[in-house]
Amino acid sequence: MSLDARVGIVLVSHSAALAEGAADLAAQISGGTVAIIPAGGTEDGGLGTSSARVTRAVKLADSGAGVLILPDLGSAVLTVRVLLSEPDDLPAPIELADAPFVEGVVAATVAAAGGADITAVRAAAEEARDVRKL
Amino acid sequence: MSANYEQAITLNGDLHARPAGALAVAAAQFSSAVSITAGASSANAKSVLAVMGLGATSGQQITVSADGPDAEEAVGAIVAILLEATRVGT
Repeated sequence: MSLDARVGIVLVSHSAALAEGAADLAAQISGGTVAIIPAGGTEDGGLGTSSARVTRAVKLADSGAGVLILPDLGSAVLTVRVLLSEPDDLPAPIELADAPFVEGVVAATVAAAGGADITAVRAAAEEARDVRKL
Repeated sequence: MSANYEQAITLNGDLHARPAGALAVAAAQFSSAVSITAGASSANAKSVLAVMGLGATSGQQITVSADGPDAEEAVGAIVAILLEATRVGT
């Protein structure tokens, strides 16, 4: 791992627009120094999740410090879990966060931009469920 | 050597998402615990969501405080970011 490597983030959503929008927002808040790769929708542009898209995104997101994956709902979680059950061709470390989608990616990306390791980046994402907006 | 240090400033703009992000990234570079206090609420400066949750707005006085070996440097850096990042009201 190089000294400058940041944990990469992958957003897995049923909707390509949702994943791309959340990635844009998190990039702007965190200053644009972290790879945030959206993996939304199916290969034919519909709503759903695609294992192949997630695999490509994970490889793009990795810069040597590992990758944290944030899923939106339901089958996005299942798709990632199946992928991670055979992680031989994937970067390591690679982890799945149990976190709110928007708040989680913002918190994770800011932590990654600050140089946190994957354990701390995942913790930042998962703590997002306990932070009140109001 | 551990130290406490704090400084109060008046915000020139709202503490929105982007300044909160810049502030949290900067705070993470220090080993000291850093917090932001606005009114009756206090937030860990290293948590972007907690900083946003303060809902601090232009004209409000807030206090930046740090506790740890690099407390004074941390407060200086965070105050500088707050003054710069909130100036244009992003």
